[in-house]
Amino acid sequence: MKEYGILRRRGWRSYTDLAAALERADRVARDQIPGDVRWIRSYLLDEDRGEAGTFCIYRAFSPEAIRRHAARAGLPVEEIIAVAGTLISSHDPQNPGGWLPGGVAQATQPTKEE
Amino acid sequence: MTISSAGELLERSEPLAVLAERLDAAQRADRGTLVFLSGEAGIGKTALARAWSTSRPGISALWGACEALETPRPLGPLVDVAEQAAGELARLAAGDPSPAALVRALAIELRRRRTLVVLEDLHWADGATLDALRLLARRVEGVPTVVLATYRDDGLERTHPLRVLLGELPIAPSIVRLRLQPLSLAAVQQLAEERGIEPGNLYRRTRGNPFFVTEVLAAAERGGVVPETVRDAVLARAARLDAVGRRLLDMVAIVPPRAELWLVEAMADDELNSLESCLASGMLEDDGSTVGFRHEIARVAIENAVPPEVRVTLHRRALSALSAAADRRSDAARLAHHAEAAGDSEAVVRYARLAGERAAAMRAHREAAAQFARALRSGSGLPADQRASLFESRSYECYLTDQVEEAIAARREAVRLRHELHDPLRAGDGHRWLSLLAWMAGDNHSAQAEARRAVELLEREPAGPELATAYSNLAVMRLFAYDISGTLELGARAIELADRVGELRALTDALMTVDTAELMAGSPAAGARLQRALELALEAGLEEQVARARTNLGLTALAVRDYKLADRQLAACVEYCSERDLGTWPLYIAGWRARSQLEQGHWDAAAELATTVLEHPRIAAPFRITALVVIGRLRARRGDPDVWASLDEALELARNAGELELAPVAAARAEARWLGGETAAIADETDAAVACARAHADTWIRGELLVWRRRAGIDEVVEPTAVAAPFAHELGGDYRAAAALWEGIGCPYEAAIARAGSPDARTARAGLAALQELGARRAAARVARTLRHRGIRDLQLGPRKATSHNPAGLTARELDVLALIAEGLRNSEIAARLFLSEKTVDHHVSSVLRKLGVSSRTKAATEATRLSIPTHSQR
Repeated sequence: MKEYGILRRRGWRSYTDLAAALERADRVARDQIPGDVRWIRSYLLDEDRGEAGTFCIYRAFSPEAIRRHAARAGLPVEEIIAVAGTLISSHDPQNPGGWLPGGVAQATQPTKEE
Repeated sequence: MTISSAGELLERSEPLAVLAERLDAAQRADRGTLVFLSGEAGIGKTALARAWSTSRPGISALWGACEALETPRPLGPLVDVAEQAAGELARLAAGDPSPAALVRALAIELRRRRTLVVLEDLHWADGATLDALRLLARRVEGVPTVVLATYRDDGLERTHPLRVLLGELPIAPSIVRLRLQPLSLAAVQQLAEERGIEPGNLYRRTRGNPFFVTEVLAAAERGGVVPETVRDAVLARAARLDAVGRRLLDMVAIVPPRAELWLVEAMADDELNSLESCLASGMLEDDGSTVGFRHEIARVAIENAVPPEVRVTLHRRALSALSAAADRRSDAARLAHHAEAAGDSEAVVRYARLAGERAAAMRAHREAAAQFARALRSGSGLPADQRASLFESRSYECYLTDQVEEAIAARREAVRLRHELHDPLRAGDGHRWLSLLAWMAGDNHSAQAEARRAVELLEREPAGPELATAYSNLAVMRLFAYDISGTLELGARAIELADRVGELRALTDALMTVDTAELMAGSPAAGARLQRALELALEAGLEEQVARARTNLGLTALAVRDYKLADRQLAACVEYCSERDLGTWPLYIAGWRARSQLEQGHWDAAAELATTVLEHPRIAAPFRITALVVIGRLRARRGDPDVWASLDEALELARNAGELELAPVAAARAEARWLGGETAAIADETDAAVACARAHADTWIRGELLVWRRRAGIDEVVEPTAVAAPFAHELGGDYRAAAALWEGIGCPYEAAIARAGSPDARTARAGLAALQELGARRAAARVARTLRHRGIRDLQLGPRKATSHNPAGLTARELDVLALIAEGLRNSEIAARLFLSEKTVDHHVSSVLRKLGVSSRTKAATEATRLSIPTHSQR
């Protein structure tokens, strides 16, 4: 699997809508297309007028799998970006610990196949 | 399995409710369902199936199961079902039926007798059973039954044939997927406390797996230690039996999935005396005629613990007992299994060959290939001609199942032996096979060489069907090499000889090849031969040739962008194949269907089709190219990542696959360069393909290449008649005329790109808007940049409000359709209201239902209200 970032700016009118969408996203990934995509994490975007957006990290076999999941779960997709690796700062509150040179706590590359 | 405190299954009320609802639909509304029930080993699939199938008085179930043989019985579970049904169906099953024939008969039987069907352990299914399941999925809605199909999903790889099948199935109300979850901590707690076992530890070790939990509970002393693994739990439980009881367990364990009582009796000395205690301990179960383990996990745990020397003895006893009683031919696969485990190579050869022939007759080609391989492994002492013929059979079965590398290896051995045996006819025919297989492997060079070698060898012998077939094959190979005159000449020879010796396959194939070549040469005679080939093939019942002719008819239409005709022909081809045991053919043509969808602007559909091709682990190289091109173009237009991964692979494959494949790849790469702003690279990408395209009559592919070059600023003279009309308009500077033609043809993206190139600002803006509507983000950005450069201001980019402001992500068109669904209109009325075809409306309606996650139109309207989706019409 490869890692992708997905930008969903202003995808929802409210956080309530977003919560419903998350539930659908989870259900679709589990029941309809099992094994196709794996949700890793999301950042909630604070948009204007109470609207909600996200930037999500997923693992998938292809961008088409990301789009298929989004289409079935009714999630907007503004842009899909391939992720080449992860750098975690030592200041990251979720830093799992350990130090690397240059203030970087952890560096990983997504595995190609799983 | 009785994982219950009060006689009922724990935490299974939800799946049982779904199954009960499907049963209602079958009984009251005559609407059938195929339910896939999945979960890890030991999760309780069988227990659930049993509880459900006995839940209603007066309803019975037919059961069939796949077994954990290395090479399973062809159509095993369906044959089980047919035998229980008795009568006409059982008679059919005894005679090596094809999956299609069996499913047809089963459907008739189920309409008559109103019973349920349970098919267990499909992760072990043979290829023919999976084909049958595919057919069943298509028909089940009209059959008043519920078919419950269970499989293990732990360790089921992405490329597993069952996973591939599940991916292909449509989303339809008649197909339901259920997945069983492990028991919760609360449930495990309840069970553990009744037995005085520490629940936290039990839950951690078993992770809530019901089978594991029951094994531990059955084996554990009060307050005792919880075993590390499920295997340990099974062995601990078995250890409580005496030595004779253990020997009986071993005996039953080597006969998957269940042993007939007469067989155990024949194998046993005094072991049957302990049957009672084995049954009482709960390790074994009997159903009157067979005895087996309570679960496959237990069987495997015991089988693996049998000492090797004992195992050989037991298999020997099973072999001799079964062969003494082999009145049923279906036992060949079992006999081969025991013969191999017993190390009796003579018996392996005999039964594996028999099992292979039987599997081939029943279209379980993967299993047939494996049986022939097994016979060859044990048959090193066989005479050369018998080995050669086994290799030929294995190669053919591998070819049918897309195991191209294995097919080549076996065919090479066969050809070597045929040369040694001085059998030039079979050797020559073997070289012709090697040519076809090399082409499938994407190795054009070897394909050409072997095709020539076959003709050389066979021309020295009296002319017969082999030579006719070799001519026909060489003609195809010359076509792939873009050698039109060579194709026509060899094709003519093939037709003449095939006609004379009555070799109908070669005749129909050659007619199709010559027709395609004439089409490329721009001959007015093109088309007639194709029609004749189809008629010949239909008349003679040559199914593969019928599929090929229908495919060619579709591709001919696609090449001139007659999408209506192309889609109709290719759909007819899929329909034909799906009903006739040509299971993988639809996959071969999915790439072209994807291309058609892409060009018509149905991008999600295009992606789905192309992905099914690319995810198939063994699809022949030439079929991958088209799918890779579709995916590459789609990614490039949308601005999705991994564009060059697909287009580089396409180029690599096309270079080895012959000149014919190069042009579409070059056009796609030129477009991707243009979208990426690398216009300087377009000349290099297209030079070779343009040189080829100039030499033949296809004005569409030539036009496509030349237009991309012009968009890259390459100024070359093009005769307007040398390219198809929309390209001629654009090259002549009439962008609006080009766009109008594209719209008439049904290509929205091409129309938008043509408009966007117009010097007229309004036309260009309309092109930009259309690109955004299509979701061509990168293309829109590229065009916007150019327009800004030209001084055109106020260009809006970004997703449209209508799409981003409804929670289910419906498109504007889908919102229109939903509004009319909510008004209670039928599809034909919606079509009339929105000026769309009814087929398009069908498409939108199923998309709306899918996105809303509902199964009916009424529910869609309710869901729309709940999500506060605006359902007033937008226009």
